[in-house]
Amino acid sequence: MFEVRKDEPGYAQLFDPTSEEKNRYGQDIQLIPDGEEPVSLRINNEDAIGTNPNRNKQHGFHFTADNCIGCHACESACSEKNDLPDHFAFRSVGYVEGGEFPDFQRMNISMACNHCDNPVCLKGCPTRAYTKHPEYGAVIQDPDICFGCGYCTWVCPYNAPQLDPVKGRVEKCNMCVDRLEVNLKPACVSACVGNALDFGVIENTPGRREDIDTSIPGFPDPSITQPNIRFQQQKEMPKEVTRTDSMQIKYTLDELGMYKPEVDEKDGAEKHWNVKRLSSSENPLVAFTLSVQASLGIFFILTLGSWLGIAPIEAAKSSVMYLPMVLVSLGLSALGLLMSVTHLGKPFRFYRGFNNWRHSPVCREGLGISGFLAFGGLHLLTQLPSHPWIAPLAETIGMSSRIAGALTYLNVPTALLAMISGGIGLYYMYRCYRIPARPFWNHNSTGTHFVGNAMTLGSLILAVVFVPTLAIIGEAWATLLTVLAALIFVGSLAESIGLFIQAREFKTAKHEGAASHYIQRTTFGCTYILRNTLLAITCLIALGVTFTEFAWLQVIGFVGLSATCLTTAIIGRALFYVLVVPTTMPGAFFWKNKGFVEHARDIGMDHMPNTGVVPARH
Amino acid sequence: MLFGRKKKNPIIINNKGAVDWKYTTCGYCSVGCSIEVGLNKDGKPVTTRGVGGADVNRGKLCVKGLTEAGIFEGNGRGLAPKIRESIDDEFTTTDWDTAFDKVADEFKRIQAKYGMDSIGIVSTGQLFTEEFYTLGKLVRGLIGTNNYDGNTTLCMASAVSGYKRSFGSDGPPGCYDDFEHTECLMAFGSNLPEQHPIIYWRLKEALEKRKFPIIVIDPRKTMMGQMADYYLPINPGTDLVLLNSFAHVILDEGLEDNDYINSFTNGIEEFRELVKEYSPEDASVICGIDPDTIRTVARIYAKANSAMSIWTMGINQSTHGSDGVCGINNMNLITGNIGKPGGTSLSITGQCNAMGTREWSSCAGLPGYRALENPAHRKEVAKFWNVDEDFFPPKIGLKETDIFPAIETGQIKALWIVATNPLTSMPNTARIRENFKNVEFCVVQDSYEDCETVDYANVYLPGAVWAEKTGCFTNTERRVNLTEQVAQPPGDSKADLWIFNQLAKRWDNHNQMTFPETAAEVFDEMKYLSVNGDSVNGGERMLDISGMSHERIQASRGIQWPYSEQDHKNQFTPDQAVEMHGERLPTDHSKVRKGNPRLYTDGVFQFPDGKAKILSLRFNDNNERPCKEYPFWLNSGRLVEHFHTRTKTGKVGNCNKFSPTPFMEMNPHAAAKLGIRSMEYVKLKSRRGDAIVMVQTTKRVPEDMVFIPFHFHNCINRLSLGLLDPHSRQPAFKQGAIKIEKTDQAEAAKINLANRTF
Repeated sequence: MFEVRKDEPGYAQLFDPTSEEKNRYGQDIQLIPDGEEPVSLRINNEDAIGTNPNRNKQHGFHFTADNCIGCHACESACSEKNDLPDHFAFRSVGYVEGGEFPDFQRMNISMACNHCDNPVCLKGCPTRAYTKHPEYGAVIQDPDICFGCGYCTWVCPYNAPQLDPVKGRVEKCNMCVDRLEVNLKPACVSACVGNALDFGVIENTPGRREDIDTSIPGFPDPSITQPNIRFQQQKEMPKEVTRTDSMQIKYTLDELGMYKPEVDEKDGAEKHWNVKRLSSSENPLVAFTLSVQASLGIFFILTLGSWLGIAPIEAAKSSVMYLPMVLVSLGLSALGLLMSVTHLGKPFRFYRGFNNWRHSPVCREGLGISGFLAFGGLHLLTQLPSHPWIAPLAETIGMSSRIAGALTYLNVPTALLAMISGGIGLYYMYRCYRIPARPFWNHNSTGTHFVGNAMTLGSLILAVVFVPTLAIIGEAWATLLTVLAALIFVGSLAESIGLFIQAREFKTAKHEGAASHYIQRTTFGCTYILRNTLLAITCLIALGVTFTEFAWLQVIGFVGLSATCLTTAIIGRALFYVLVVPTTMPGAFFWKNKGFVEHARDIGMDHMPNTGVVPARH
Repeated sequence: MLFGRKKKNPIIINNKGAVDWKYTTCGYCSVGCSIEVGLNKDGKPVTTRGVGGADVNRGKLCVKGLTEAGIFEGNGRGLAPKIRESIDDEFTTTDWDTAFDKVADEFKRIQAKYGMDSIGIVSTGQLFTEEFYTLGKLVRGLIGTNNYDGNTTLCMASAVSGYKRSFGSDGPPGCYDDFEHTECLMAFGSNLPEQHPIIYWRLKEALEKRKFPIIVIDPRKTMMGQMADYYLPINPGTDLVLLNSFAHVILDEGLEDNDYINSFTNGIEEFRELVKEYSPEDASVICGIDPDTIRTVARIYAKANSAMSIWTMGINQSTHGSDGVCGINNMNLITGNIGKPGGTSLSITGQCNAMGTREWSSCAGLPGYRALENPAHRKEVAKFWNVDEDFFPPKIGLKETDIFPAIETGQIKALWIVATNPLTSMPNTARIRENFKNVEFCVVQDSYEDCETVDYANVYLPGAVWAEKTGCFTNTERRVNLTEQVAQPPGDSKADLWIFNQLAKRWDNHNQMTFPETAAEVFDEMKYLSVNGDSVNGGERMLDISGMSHERIQASRGIQWPYSEQDHKNQFTPDQAVEMHGERLPTDHSKVRKGNPRLYTDGVFQFPDGKAKILSLRFNDNNERPCKEYPFWLNSGRLVEHFHTRTKTGKVGNCNKFSPTPFMEMNPHAAAKLGIRSMEYVKLKSRRGDAIVMVQTTKRVPEDMVFIPFHFHNCINRLSLGLLDPHSRQPAFKQGAIKIEKTDQAEAAKINLANRTF
């Protein structure tokens, strides 16, 4: 048990003589019925059970924003207690400020985990590393289960789970349950020097306080996760408050008295290329999503095309190159999965990615793609013995043609199953990005982007393989080009429409997506224009190829398309990842400032551990 | 289970593995927090925690205290003495005897050639009081140079000087407990939340129990400014005008405490005449505060039953620093706010033991607030130390800020720098660099060999840091507190007390004196001197620590002087008090062995007639001010996560990461006019030099002012002028003029990186 000192000060001791029945979200504060046999949390393998009388009630932090002086005591007390390295923190203090000198105000915000009623981290985590305990309602993550995909860090609106680039795994605030067990407030609260942080049973108003609100300027929409944090902020803040970190977001007061994020054009209006910045630690995911989408595009076009009786696709499917094409498709998905595994902090724990199929879209995405690989593989096997190149071999090893024939009956069911699995994979790949805490992704355009790319890339690869095949075996190949160009046109058009609508909405949006849009118009302005232009050119060429009667023009057109499609896809996907602006808490000027971290890495300061910046993970 | 795994794994909560705790006092600032250092099972110090029952911090610590165990692991420690003939040579590692012989021989040679006072000794506020006392004995009793001072001249000299001019003696008269009693608090250039977070917490606790008005005077809208009921954005360096104007209002409206003035002070008539010239209307033109606010604030302060003033560098680091302190004292004397609960002039000190060096180091004369100029004091100390009274210089010598310029005139030929880093901390780095090049011999004694000043040393002596040794600090409220040794100094580095004692052996007269080996024995000598001897006003000696001992201090978690043996008999331990009163933290000091919280409670001051002086001080505008060519005020200050020149905090990642490189607060409107964006580097120029710094745009500062933290090497002090206060010789770090230019970002980043070796 945690050691309680003889002279432990009163402010460090929990005091909740009474509590409410239900919290503001309608949930019971008593998490399991009274009288249930208490269970040990087995903290550090100790079997002891805490003496806290409110052990099975939901607890939460209380933060008096008026009082926070930004002194870092909470942060360092936390780091000291949990023995955290310099570059890593469970709790961080950032700030927003506004007004004109001398009528200027800075408001500091200290934030760790809010141990939410709807723990999106837990639901998102594919490995089931998270548990929401009936003791204190603590959401606790087990770093020994985590495989470092970082998905929880995407879905959490408060930046609570942190991916440690050195250890390659996520860790987060543990509510100091060891202290709670002996009736002590968490280390950060006990250390608070401004009397800003407090802690207790949720919906209780701490001593000397009046308010238990769920919003302050800079704090994300509480409806996303139903966080167990309460605020008091009575000092009137200016109508507009800005952030000092590099994030291009400020907050303005709306008619309802709420602060809403909007763009802060702090980087001016100039357009830049910043091609180098397109490369990020999410590069493996660029490769993963693109190759899986291309893979599914190939399989879907071939299968659906032939089922729909589209002649050139039927011809392609019955050609000798069909099986190699399926192999390529499966290979691309396999390569994609491999890339996604290399993206993990702990790649050898990849198998844990299937643990949380009940909640996690990441898990279902993985399951879908794996199913696609399995059924696609079976599909391949069913046809293998009857393939002209393999049949002689099959005969020599004694496989009768009747077996081969029988296997072909499984052709369609396996293809269907592969399509269903692949469809599930693609759908959940899309769902993975529908994250309320990441408004730039949380838009239908993510869907058109993914499906569009599946169509364009799938079509391109099909053309590369089957046009020569059909030409060699003397079948009509030009109509195949027509069909594929039409698909590329539809895919690119869908993507364009999605991007157009997103840009139009986000230009004036009251969320972080507006900042993403601002960044794509400025920091990546030139790159963004290039991608859009290429997309338009792709549409035009594809349209031309679809309707031209000159086969040689079609070929030339396709050469052009392969260049524009590939470039568009790669730039577009890289932009997709680098542009996202999460609904994070405001950072400070150095600590938790993405701009400073980038700068420190650019100039080589990341090799000094005392700067709190470590080299990026690759 | 609500969500998640049915079969729960154990919850693993990592910790630093502390199994044993030892009592210390924080080695950073002057708040004087009691800290327990946690030792792991191998006896290695790994973490810290605030002592719950300690009256100062009551279990709390600031970011530096919380991470203080990190300094035991910090990089850049000196592990062995080093020596070299010329500063152009590489150092060679040597043994202590060789190093001591070299130092003593060179000092003696230079003194023989250039005179006794040709050695400049610059000490610090970082060592234990016992070490200061020993260094003082070595300097005044054996080496004999009169040019011996501490780096306290950069931080508290104006407060010392002001206290002496107003009250006849140094020694802050108030305490933190005054927050619990005061009805009005006025803070001048003091940003408690950043500079002294634990004092801020004590204030906040008092305010949450009982609201009283807070008045903050600061040219920058600090966190302290934000929490003020009245925030007065004063023009830099004009505090004296504002103070005289407050006095004008108070006296004009008859709000003064005439009983107090008549009974306990001198000088009111002349003062009345002088402040007539400082009407709020006239003052407002100079200090930038509107007349209405001046009147309102003065009335609130004067009408409060008890009102207190605190100040820090905003007052001290000014060409009128000493006058500013006296101005604050004037205001409190005419309102009767000295020596009573909630009524005081409390300078918030800087270093952990700035007070200890002021009291006992002999920098300011002789130990125990004694003066070289006082024949009785000379006699007492000479007799106790067994040295020839005539060996003491007739009067006080050069201050730190005069020692360096004296190199230029050939008056100083050798330097001994103890635990301070003038190459980063002194104004006008270019000049200081030249000064160091022009001495014949330089010794730097410091825990850190990467301290920039070591670059100019002929001999480097590696000292121990903080709790690698035992001794006492005195804090802002005169509380003497103990640090137990918790770790061995690394390598061949040594406790400074040992270094002073060994060096003393190189002088022949050493044999007739005593240089006790342990801090506790040295403390006994101090105790003796604290009572035996002449007092200025015929009463008891004020700086009385005779009732203290290391054991008693630790038992009480610190004791405030004066504390006589009689006090000890009359008071109880905290444990006894708890038993008697059933309180965890008894606040009634008179019952607990915590010493005496306030000075001058009887209205008797340390002048021969026992009366305080109300001083008539005329404002003389002599600052460098912004002009057409250099249009920005240059303001400076500190950050909560750093201490001094970062030799300690720069290596503790959990401090340093909050500001790993220097930055400059600049108003975004001013930045936009120059085409500068936040996070861009700019080049700054002053009449002294240039510097590269990263811009943080914020409306915390007005459009004609920038603010740069002072902690960083090769940054603000390449620009600062540091005109000296005529009384305290403290530099005006916070007033200067600069211009700002855009610069090549890649080049600037390279320069910034090159300057950040830690």
